Order: sequence, then C-alpha cells, then structure tokens
Amino acid sequence: MEEQQGNLERFYRNKYLFPLFLFLFFIWSVIATDFNPKTLVEGFPNLVDFVLRMFPPDFDAFPSLIKPAIETIQMAFLGTLFASLISFPLSILASNNISTSGLARNTSKSIIAFTRTVPDIVFALIFVSAVGLGPFPGTLALAIHSIGMLGKLYREAIEVIDPQPLEALEAVGANKIQSIRYAVIPQVLPSFVANTLYRFDVNVRASVVLGLVGAGGIGFELIMAMRLFKYRELASILVITFIIIILSERISDALRKRIIGEDVLK
Amino acid sequence: MLVLNNVSKRLSDGRLLLRDISFSVGRGELVAVLGLSGVGKTVLLRCINRLTTPDSGNIVLNGDGNPVDITNCNIQELRTVRRRIGMIFQNFSLIKRLSVLENVLTGRLGYTDTLHNLFFGFSAEDVDRALNVLDRVGIADLAYRRAGTLSGGEMQRVAIARALLQEPYLLLADEPIANLDPNTSERIVELLREITISEGIGTLVVLHQPEIARKHATRVIGIKNGVVCYDGEPNISEEDLATIYGRTTG
Repeated sequence: MEEQQGNLERFYRNKYLFPLFLFLFFIWSVIATDFNPKTLVEGFPNLVDFVLRMFPPDFDAFPSLIKPAIETIQMAFLGTLFASLISFPLSILASNNISTSGLARNTSKSIIAFTRTVPDIVFALIFVSAVGLGPFPGTLALAIHSIGMLGKLYREAIEVIDPQPLEALEAVGANKIQSIRYAVIPQVLPSFVANTLYRFDVNVRASVVLGLVGAGGIGFELIMAMRLFKYRELASILVITFIIIILSERISDALRKRIIGEDVLK
Repeated sequence: MLVLNNVSKRLSDGRLLLRDISFSVGRGELVAVLGLSGVGKTVLLRCINRLTTPDSGNIVLNGDGNPVDITNCNIQELRTVRRRIGMIFQNFSLIKRLSVLENVLTGRLGYTDTLHNLFFGFSAEDVDRALNVLDRVGIADLAYRRAGTLSGGEMQRVAIARALLQEPYLLLADEPIANLDPNTSERIVELLREITISEGIGTLVVLHQPEIARKHATRVIGIKNGVVCYDGEPNISEEDLATIYGRTTG
C-alpha cells in the first residue's frame, strides 16, 4: 500500500512539478536576457536603415575580394587536411578494438576531447597572438579544433568494423600495421571520406568567423568593412561568402558521390 | 607433421573444455573433426595457430624438418609459424570492399615487408603467384571483382586461394561449408581434398556432415566431453557416430 502511495506521489510530481520548473526558468531567462519584443519593434527602423545602406552592393570591390575568398577556401582545405592526417593515427590509438595499450587509448581520447571542447575562435585568438595576424593562425586553429570532431567520428567508424577479416589477417601472420592497412582502412574508407568532406564544409563556414579575430580570409575583409562603415562593400562580401559556401558544398557533394557513391546505396 | 600432445584448455568460467587432446596429422591427410556444437572443435583449431593459447600441452608443427613448438614461441616466431598455417573460416572472413586479387594477396602478409606494403602494395611476383592460385581454385575470371559481390561458394574459393598463397604446411578449416548449399559444399570439400593430396599438406577440417566426412576425409576424429573419442577410418560406423553425437554425460 505504501509503495503504491509513493508511486502516486511520483506521478503527480512528474506531472505538475516539472512543467512548473520549466515555466519559472522561462520567466527568469526572459528577465535575465532583456528579451523584449517592444525593443525589437522600436529598433526596426535602424535595421532597415542598415540594410538600405548596403544597397546597391559595391561590385567594384569584387576583384579585390577574389583573393581573400580563395584564401578562405585554402584555409579550410589545409586545416581539414592536417586535421585528418593527425586524427587518423589518434583515432586508431583511441579505438577500443584496435589499440591494445590503455595508456595510449586514454591519452589520445583526452587529446581528441580537449580539441573538441575548446572553441576554434579561442584557438584562433591564441595563435594570432603567437604568430601574428593573417591566414596562418586561422589555418592552425581550424586544424587543431577539427581534430576533436574528426578524431571522434573516425574512432566510431573504426570501432564498428567487422572483426573477422582482422582475425583472418592475424592468422595469416600479418602484423598490426599490415592488418590496419588491409583490414581496417578498406572498411572505414567510405565513412572517413564522408566525415572529412563534411568537416571541410564546416571549416569553410568557420574560417569566415575566424577572420573576425584577424585570422585572415574573407572574414577579415568583412570585419574591416564593418569597422570602416563601408556597408556597400560589406554587401558584396556577404554575396561572395554565400557563393563560396554554396560552391564548397557542391564540390564536396560531388566528391562524396564519386568516391563512395556505390556504398551509400547499400 | 602436426603433433598435439595432451592439449588442455579451460574456459574463462573455469570449465575444462579440452582435456589432454593428442593426435597427429600427416602430409596428404584430410582429417575431419566431428562433434556436437560447443564441444570445443573451434577452440581446438584456434589453439593450433594460437589465436587462442592452450593452458597446457604442446603443439608441434614440422613442415620443413625443423620442428617448432607453437605453444611456446615468441611473437616473431609465431608470425613465421602462422604464415605456414592457412585458416579457412565459416564466414569466409574476406575484406568485402577489396578486390578478389587483393584479398588473395593478403595471404602473403606474413612474408612481405611492412614498409613496402604501405608504400608500394605487393610485388609483381606476388601478383603473379596470386593469379596462378586463383586459376588453381577455378575463379581466375573473378580476380578484379569486389569480394563483397561474390556468391558464398566463390567467397570460400577466394579464402582457400588466400590460404594457398601462404604456401602452407597445414590448412585449418572451421566449418567451411556451414553457409553453403549442399552442391557447393561438395565442390568445396572436393577442392580441399584435391589440394591436400596434390600439395602434400595436412588439412584439419571441422565438419557437421558425417556423410561428407565419410566420402572425402582420409581420417575422422570425434570429440566428446573434451576428449578424443574416435580416431580412425573415415567410413565411421553408425555406433561410433552415435557415440560422438550421443547424449553427453556430465
């Protein structure tokens, strides 16, 4: 009987208490963030003014923006490349099925988790202060931060491979490195390619943001235009940013289909 | 050529799975191992190439006049022993995304240099060998197909080719026909027998089909309650079969 009573109490607690907490937290958050529709409505003319100043976009600035735009893509490319080169051995060492040393496993897992936890913009600030303004610190920041995601996704791909071919190669007399080359890599390749290309997409977008802290590329042009109140130039920068993001998505989609198309269908 | 002396293996739960197993396999012998499921036939096979380490006893392979105690050798010696022992699995254990040729070539990994593999793959000489072996098992035309696209019988032929490329003294086959239809099963066991005799190797094959053992094996070993309960002629009598497959005691 007592137990039933307890269940009933728990039932009412779950039913009323949780929504009540949610509502109270909602009110608190609205107050804390000055969330006020009236302010937004009052500020609306400023918003319109800002947008109007951007028209017509300054297409004369286009030629001078081509180089930073390509630079943005190159930052994303190099950042992703170095990240994947570092992530691959780390993910092997971190995997529960391939790695035999507990120390190596925990160390590489920690490195992967750490690089994921620290935001790329923080890495960019650190590298800008270390090596100065420009695309180089941005590329470093992308490379280091991307290890966090790629290392984790690579490791997950490695941990779900079919273990039987691995054992077959052990029986043949193959050593660890040979087994990784012939039994692990062929099995994880499709997922590696898909994840790396996806990270390239993310990095193109991220490198725009990194420009804001002086780490080169189109983002740097963007923040300069804003600071100098060149709104029409700002508009053309946004157009170019839009174009490179769409382009990079198209390119990585095409590559993905070419390299792993037949496996996606399975 | 292969000699097992009093091999015992205890499971992690303490149960004694194999008790003092002793037998030998000579050149040109196809030995079928029969027994109930769970009796330890697979573990026995895995002890022979030390994918599992037995608790006591020794296993000696003598392929070239230099006997090697498999139960008592270091990592490097183990690699050189393993490359002379081909293993064929129930589920074929191929790398499905690689071509048939590449799968067969992995049989050379016990011989080849790791750095050479990483940067250049396999030598032209090994590729020639692999193509010859594929011809030998009757699937030369499939060399450039992806292994994952083959039928079960074809996959098992690839696995046999991979084992043959090891230039083995000994073949271990763990229920090689469990996933195949009766006709294909017959062809695969015939192929194993033919290879065993013509190459002069020893073959140990775990089977669940006594009639196939009778027809193709040169000898039959029965295992029950962890011990060898039959070791003799392939035309095993019904009484002996009943002993092997009969109700276990204890």
